[in-house]
Amino acid sequence: MSMLRLSFINFRNGFKSYLSLVLSLSFSILILFNFQNMIYSETFAVLGQRNKQYIDMLIQTVSIVLLCFLFFFVWYATNVFLTRRKREIGIYIFMGMSNRKIGSLYMIEISFVGITALAAGIGFGALFAGLFQMVMGAVADTEIEVRFGISIKPVVLTVVFFLAVYVIFVLKGYWNIVRSSVLSMISAARQNEYVQTKSAVLFIKAAAGILVLAVGYFLANKGSRSDLLGNALLAVVLVMIGVYLLFGGLIPLFFQMLAGQKSFLYRRQRCLWVNQTIFRMRKNYRTYAMVCIIGICSATALATGFAMRERYHNMMVFDNQYTFQFLTNQQGLGAQAAALIQGETEIACQTSLTALSVDAEHLVLSYSEVKRAAQESGGVAGLRAPADDETYYLSHQILMSLIAGSERIPVRLGDMVFQETEVIREPYIGYMQEAMGCFYVVSDTAYEELRQGSEMLYIYNYKIADNTAFERARAAADVLISNTDENFTARVAVNPFDKELEWVKVLCALCIFMFLVFIVAGGCIMFMKLYNDSYEEKERYLVLKKIGLSPQTLSRSIAHELSGAYMLPFAVLAVSAYFSVNALGKMMQTDLFSVYLVSMLVVLLVFVLCYGCSVVMYRKNVGV
Amino acid sequence: MNDEKVVEIKNLIKSYGAKDFQTTVLKGIDLTIYKEDFIAIMGPSGSGKTTLLNILSTIDKPTQGTVLLDGKNVTRMSNKELAKLRKDKIGFVFQDYNLLDTMTLQDNIALPLALGGVPSGQIAERIQALSAAFGIEEQLRKYPYQLSGGQKQRGAVCRALITNPEIIFADEPTGALDSKAGKDLLHCLRRVNDSGQATILMVTHDPHCASYAKDVYLLSDGMMKCRIGRGSDRKEFYNRIVDLQTSIGGDFS
Repeated sequence: MSMLRLSFINFRNGFKSYLSLVLSLSFSILILFNFQNMIYSETFAVLGQRNKQYIDMLIQTVSIVLLCFLFFFVWYATNVFLTRRKREIGIYIFMGMSNRKIGSLYMIEISFVGITALAAGIGFGALFAGLFQMVMGAVADTEIEVRFGISIKPVVLTVVFFLAVYVIFVLKGYWNIVRSSVLSMISAARQNEYVQTKSAVLFIKAAAGILVLAVGYFLANKGSRSDLLGNALLAVVLVMIGVYLLFGGLIPLFFQMLAGQKSFLYRRQRCLWVNQTIFRMRKNYRTYAMVCIIGICSATALATGFAMRERYHNMMVFDNQYTFQFLTNQQGLGAQAAALIQGETEIACQTSLTALSVDAEHLVLSYSEVKRAAQESGGVAGLRAPADDETYYLSHQILMSLIAGSERIPVRLGDMVFQETEVIREPYIGYMQEAMGCFYVVSDTAYEELRQGSEMLYIYNYKIADNTAFERARAAADVLISNTDENFTARVAVNPFDKELEWVKVLCALCIFMFLVFIVAGGCIMFMKLYNDSYEEKERYLVLKKIGLSPQTLSRSIAHELSGAYMLPFAVLAVSAYFSVNALGKMMQTDLFSVYLVSMLVVLLVFVLCYGCSVVMYRKNVGV
Repeated sequence: MNDEKVVEIKNLIKSYGAKDFQTTVLKGIDLTIYKEDFIAIMGPSGSGKTTLLNILSTIDKPTQGTVLLDGKNVTRMSNKELAKLRKDKIGFVFQDYNLLDTMTLQDNIALPLALGGVPSGQIAERIQALSAAFGIEEQLRKYPYQLSGGQKQRGAVCRALITNPEIIFADEPTGALDSKAGKDLLHCLRRVNDSGQATILMVTHDPHCASYAKDVYLLSDGMMKCRIGRGSDRKEFYNRIVDLQTSIGGDFS
């Protein structure tokens, strides 16, 4: 029988055990393919060239993240399956096969897995490409052009990307088998010695884990935004190390202590599942830690998406506070402008302010006028009155900045020096605030002092009632624009249908997708691990059945053990994600607690589903 | 001799295969086991020893006949009732110990009682008494991989005895032990039987092992051929068993 045929028979017969790997790989490939397809099928071209460029860039970045994830996922999955296959294919040694031949056998077999996953991923990806684009458009709440046709380029790129990752681990598996001793291959699954770790070692690990994690949480949440930005990377590294140490130290230590408390242990099925958890924790703590870290990353990705979306919403509100704004030296221009606009549409709201041009770079507003205008427009309230030596800079909303603002910097306005104590990011004079970037608010007293020797400018703001009349109203109002020595009038117009920032919505949708991909993958990893464990447990459950334990007792014990396997990573990830999302909220200056709650609910739902499947599969595999 | 019946087997028949190609392994076995009995069943390979033990331990069902355990017909019980019966009334000792490698010897012994809802204090007392009787007190906190074969098997016997079962079924209990460890184990089994703590049915091919029983039954070709009692001298009993083996012939290994 040829190697190819033998490998194929092995693959076909063991397909059930490869199924979870094939499914999870196909799912990742499906997502990767659809991301690539969206770039080449011009789905977002309808949003304009600039948006498309940004979105393409985002999709490529997300694809790279996905590839990195795929890299580690394939690494992990092939390792798990190699251990299992090693003892099965190790039997070929007794048939006189060399390590190289056995390695080739494994290599061909695992290649079948990769090819099947690739074909299924691209096949289903192509089949659902239209649906994927529609879902993406719906989640992003943006206009897209759904293209059902598939071009060859995304297919080729997906194949190349996937194979580049997969081939590395196929070769690694081959090399591992070639270098393995006969004994290690046959006894690959029989390494059940050393069930417990020495308590002292666990205690040191646990203490180090708690300390490292606590420092990580502290760094992620202490101080101002500037501190957070500086500490972010260190906090991430510490939390990752802490999670590993927690699963390698504190949790086994806790269970070993439980096992020592016989009054606790000898109740119902505890003797079974507590001991079983200690045993499994020693073997699986890296998996639990990895799933936990994936969960933290996914929750943070979701929070980032929502934070961006909220920021987008704020930016839109900011920019659209007024539709037309005029800055002029002509007092009384307001009535003329209003009449022109009203010729085309109703005015929903209008306000006016005076500004002092104290020098060539700064325009000064008085506190009470800014407050009045804000009240008239129904906008933000609650601006605190500045002291006479203080000034507030009227800034604008930004999507994201890694620069933390410094406080109390001196600003010279005309002949006076003020302390800039606040940077206001709320809209008080709409888009003009962002477009000009030179407005300062001072106290009424200071304003009166600055008035002497400063040129007076007038600001007239209008928000139209019917957005569809924008173009007509603009054309009508444009007659007021002039730039002569006596008559200076500038106009700012904000198109309510502007799509300049649509890419931010797509970013949010991508973050939601990444969240789902990561969390489903985390669930798959747990499922795969337990699937594999169930084969190792077969003999143990046979013994338990022989000594008279009822299927109900064993089922309950399995349910307890597996709930621990899912709930422990969930508990640690829920705590860690709270801190990471909170830190992100601080950095993005928004409250993300509700996003955190939603993400945890989704993670819980995915884990509960995987748990249910795992229990059914486990019971079936161990024969309960 | 105690006349309280623990197990009563009547006309036990077990056949395998389809209608026209049936092989009958047990051909009408009748056997009564009384409380405090220590019975060894011997027989050549293929005589039906394991089949008989599987039926008695409720793992397998007979084709015909009845098995009364503690007065109840086990052949008509549901799976749930059988599981309860196995847990409460029967103790098992296997050739390959069947201890769980994920828990200490103490937890292995405690498991049946812990699952039965017995308070931990009582479990600890019972483990203490049994482990002292079997000389494994020092090994209680160890894991199976840290124990010798003899210690493991004595632990397995303790586990079988901890629920005070009506009967212990032992399948080649010394099969995986060296002669010294085997001898120690048999002494222990005999001691607990003599003290009235256990009724034992043991399947073995080893005449030395069988000589520790009070009665030896010889099973051949699916039927009980004869029964011999120990008398007062174990060595003489051993010689009689060997003679009987020789007269019956077949492969006893």
